[in-house]
Amino acid sequence: MSKKPRETANVGAGLWKATGMWAWLLFRISGLILVFYLGAHIIIISTGQFGTGGGTFDNVMDFLEHPVAIVLDIALVVAVLYHALNGVRIILMDFGVGIHRHKLVFWSAMAVVVICFVIFAYVAFSYLANDVGPWNGALGVVS
Amino acid sequence: MWAWLFQRITAILLIVCLAIHLTFTHLLNIGDLGYDNVADRLAHGGLTAVDIILLAAGIYHALNGLRMVLMDYWLTSRTRALAVTIVLWVVGIAFLVYGIWGLWPWIGY
Repeated sequence: MSKKPRETANVGAGLWKATGMWAWLLFRISGLILVFYLGAHIIIISTGQFGTGGGTFDNVMDFLEHPVAIVLDIALVVAVLYHALNGVRIILMDFGVGIHRHKLVFWSAMAVVVICFVIFAYVAFSYLANDVGPWNGALGVVS
Repeated sequence: MWAWLFQRITAILLIVCLAIHLTFTHLLNIGDLGYDNVADRLAHGGLTAVDIILLAAGIYHALNGLRMVLMDYWLTSRTRALAVTIVLWVVGIAFLVYGIWGLWPWIGY
């Protein structure tokens, strides 16, 4: 009686030693963050269209490129990259690709997350330090 | 089954379109964002198409994902499931319309 309920409550606790359970939990948390971010993104940016001549929109963009917003964007990039690459891993598993090497697939996906993160962080911190983006106007794209 | 399939299809669309969106909007234009800057970029048309696909796929993927989370904890009856599905479709379409309205000044700019 004294021990039984605790054992029942602990069923499955050992699964938290498996990479897949942490991958699943972080996937869910990042997904929920991204749902709320998407809602905020649409509301804030579309609301910038009120007013005339794009003045309100420019004010919204200035607010979104304030250093504090850029730092928050870096955190957002982590959530986006983790969710995207773990999502790729899940689709690969759906097709049975790498199913016998799932840990290798997971850590390979995480390596891609780190590489992409370094690119975004470089651009963000370079902009914060120099007040200009390192690649603005590159590729002939207007800036 | 269809929700599962569409979650995968929108996932792939999101990876492609989000990579394009983040590269052109942020990596190549950080600090320069503004009404005229967006207008110059969206004048290409292709990037407007990417943004609209991103908007529709993103809203579907986000709200269907939310529905999947709710199914694990709260959506225990068919009535609740149907009610939540209907509410999420209404919310999703409202966000889609508001998002397209936000892009409207540059469509055919």
